[in-house]
Amino acid sequence: MDILFVLIPLSVVLALVVLAGLWWAVYRGQFEDIEEEGRRIFEEDKE
Amino acid sequence: MESHLFSDTHSDEPQANPAWTILDTPEQWMRFSQSVGDEAQPLVQSSLLLDGLRCAACSGTVERGLSGLPGIVSARVSMSKKRAVVVWSAELTQPSTILAAIQKMGYSANPASHNESQLNATQKNRAAFWRWLVAGFCMMQVMMYASPSYFTKTGEIETDINLLLNWAAWLLSLPVMLFSSRSFFSNAWHDLKAKQISMDLPVALGIGITFVVSSAATFDPSGWWGDVVYFDSLTMFVFFLLSARLIEVKLHSKTLGAMEALVSRIPENTERQNADGSYTRVINSQLSVGDIVRVNTGEAFPADGLLLSGQTKVDESLLTGESTPIHKNKGEHVVAGSYNLGATVNMRLETLGESTQYGQIVQLINQAAIEKPRLSQLADRVARPFLFFILLSAVLSAVLLWEQGHGLALMTAAAVLIVTCPCALSLATPAAMLASASAFVKRGILIRHLQAIESIAQIDTVIFDKTGTLTDNHIAVKSLSVKDGLSEAQALAMASALASQSMHPIATAVAYAAKQNPLANALTITLDQVEEQVGAGMQGRFEQRPLKLGSAAFCGVHSDQLQASDERYQQVYLTDDSGWLATFNLQEAIKANTAQAIAALQQAQLDVELLSGDQWHTVKNTAALVGIKVFQAACSPNDKLQRLQGLKLQGKKVLMVGDGLNDGPILASAHVSIAMGKGVPLTLAHADYVLLNGDISEIPALIKHAKKTMRIIKQNIAWAVIYNAVCIPLAFFAWLSPWQAGLGMATSSLIVVLNALRLSQFSHSSINSSKA
Repeated sequence: MDILFVLIPLSVVLALVVLAGLWWAVYRGQFEDIEEEGRRIFEEDKE
Repeated sequence: MESHLFSDTHSDEPQANPAWTILDTPEQWMRFSQSVGDEAQPLVQSSLLLDGLRCAACSGTVERGLSGLPGIVSARVSMSKKRAVVVWSAELTQPSTILAAIQKMGYSANPASHNESQLNATQKNRAAFWRWLVAGFCMMQVMMYASPSYFTKTGEIETDINLLLNWAAWLLSLPVMLFSSRSFFSNAWHDLKAKQISMDLPVALGIGITFVVSSAATFDPSGWWGDVVYFDSLTMFVFFLLSARLIEVKLHSKTLGAMEALVSRIPENTERQNADGSYTRVINSQLSVGDIVRVNTGEAFPADGLLLSGQTKVDESLLTGESTPIHKNKGEHVVAGSYNLGATVNMRLETLGESTQYGQIVQLINQAAIEKPRLSQLADRVARPFLFFILLSAVLSAVLLWEQGHGLALMTAAAVLIVTCPCALSLATPAAMLASASAFVKRGILIRHLQAIESIAQIDTVIFDKTGTLTDNHIAVKSLSVKDGLSEAQALAMASALASQSMHPIATAVAYAAKQNPLANALTITLDQVEEQVGAGMQGRFEQRPLKLGSAAFCGVHSDQLQASDERYQQVYLTDDSGWLATFNLQEAIKANTAQAIAALQQAQLDVELLSGDQWHTVKNTAALVGIKVFQAACSPNDKLQRLQGLKLQGKKVLMVGDGLNDGPILASAHVSIAMGKGVPLTLAHADYVLLNGDISEIPALIKHAKKTMRIIKQNIAWAVIYNAVCIPLAFFAWLSPWQAGLGMATSSLIVVLNALRLSQFSHSSINSSKA
């Protein structure tokens, strides 16, 4: 079970990395308009 | 309403913003203010967006704090709208001083101009969402580290692994502690500094205690604090509380949606035509009377004015209650706040800002939301002692359990602190009343103060005024009788030729009746020497014979000459030199659906009366037509007042319905009153409610909705009381863990808001049905 001594700290680090990713997403406005992006798929491509 | 609940501003040391001094010129402050007071004492009334308000106690703090400053005449704060309305004297103070003072109290304020509030809102929403996300993500992770202990017995996990798990949980609790729950701490701290206690103090204490106990157990498991960690509980209840607040904000903006939409429907800027015919976008405050502006399809008209070109359809529904779009041609008037649906048009501005009907409606709505209803004040008074009681109980529970283990004792105290929910109590009334007021606005009913919702739910008698209330202001020809040998069309045509020369309501009615009759319309009758004898009738010469239209005395008709005299009608006669030709029976038009509305009121066991200044027989007739049994005719305003006083002495609660124009004092002295908003300047209608479209069939539904509102408020209060009465003892005797306490509190305040949300839609059915 010694591997736990590596895995648990690693999970903490991973969690912090994910948090950083979420921070990026929130402040880039990724969650601001959730519906619009979904709708855009159905729109015709403008050339 | 945006999420201003998660204010971060507390954490920064208050500092006067140098940019505020810009606001200290009249030109600038008038962008968020208006002039009030008189010439002897000119005053300015400004509205500010407040930040950092958490509960009812905060609004009191700001109000008191501001009122104490020199130069401030009054300050009202609306907790729910996050707005302050400050009346101040420009000689003694200035906006920057006021803003700095609010900042010093631990809140932040901004001028309530539209643009800024929207920008702030995006920032706030992001920050709130991010705080919530951090709490949620860390909660899940911490739960992972805690889960082994859920399934194992003590000692089953190796001590060093256990230690490592606790350490990891501690590390991931830090963001929750330091970041996500920062607003709880900073709010509590500011309240303590201001010698206040508020909602956030118990929560902050609870979170703090849990963290300290768990941290001590992590780093010194054999120590004084015990070896049990509660990081899972800690992150969980912070997450619950933040979720509840986030949802609350969403729900709140949903209930207030209609009002907000109405208040902010005019765009901030408009395309103004320049001298050379091109257009420039300017801020609305720069518009002035006489400007020509272009209004695009889908936009609201920025001011009252005249359509200069083209034709369009407009939607005036929120202003008049008229739901179908109205066609407008060039040269017709359009009103501020109505939507342009048809085509892009140009208009010339005639009335701007506060003087438009729209401006008055907005003013009324903002005023109403700031008024504190009685029940809400009661809740505020109870909230403070209640919080003291909670702090005492928490201390007591800790003391009682101290011998059994310090950690356990402290965690019990934390649970007591967290489980309490005075928020539910202080939200109970305003949440429901505002939801209901917003439902009223959707139906074209304006409310002056929220207290009127309670008042109208209590009434047992309804008194109607006649003219302008039950009847439309215009009078109409109901029937006519003519001499043998004369056709109705001829009589109408002759009468109309005379009547069309006069502006008298009766003459207008006769002329209108002739216009409606195609046969009469086809006849052309030319008259000479037409003249009006004021108050009596019209006369002229038709084919060299004198023709008269007017009262019996004026026309010289005697009762024996008349064929059918009907006392139900007001009558005018048409005569020539040979005598009687025709009789026109006129009657005021009774508004549509009036009889049904009165029947609905009577079905609800309300006494309905009619008081009118008109003649006995017209009043009797109207009463019979609409189904009112008790009526009084030929009342002077004084008679009406006396009748009202008499009913009051009998202990009756009277709803007075009038046109709001001539009956101001009577409306004011009734328990609650409704005025018709048609044609009356809203600021002059001294009534608790104003029916914008004058449709009295809304009254039964209005009363019903008010009753439902009161029921829901009672449910909310009962729920808050029962919840606290049950949960506090549970937590006190250590039967609730902190995370359960957090869940309880979060759901408790959500239930109150959700229950209130039921009121944001109007339902039509009889008044006493649907006992919710």
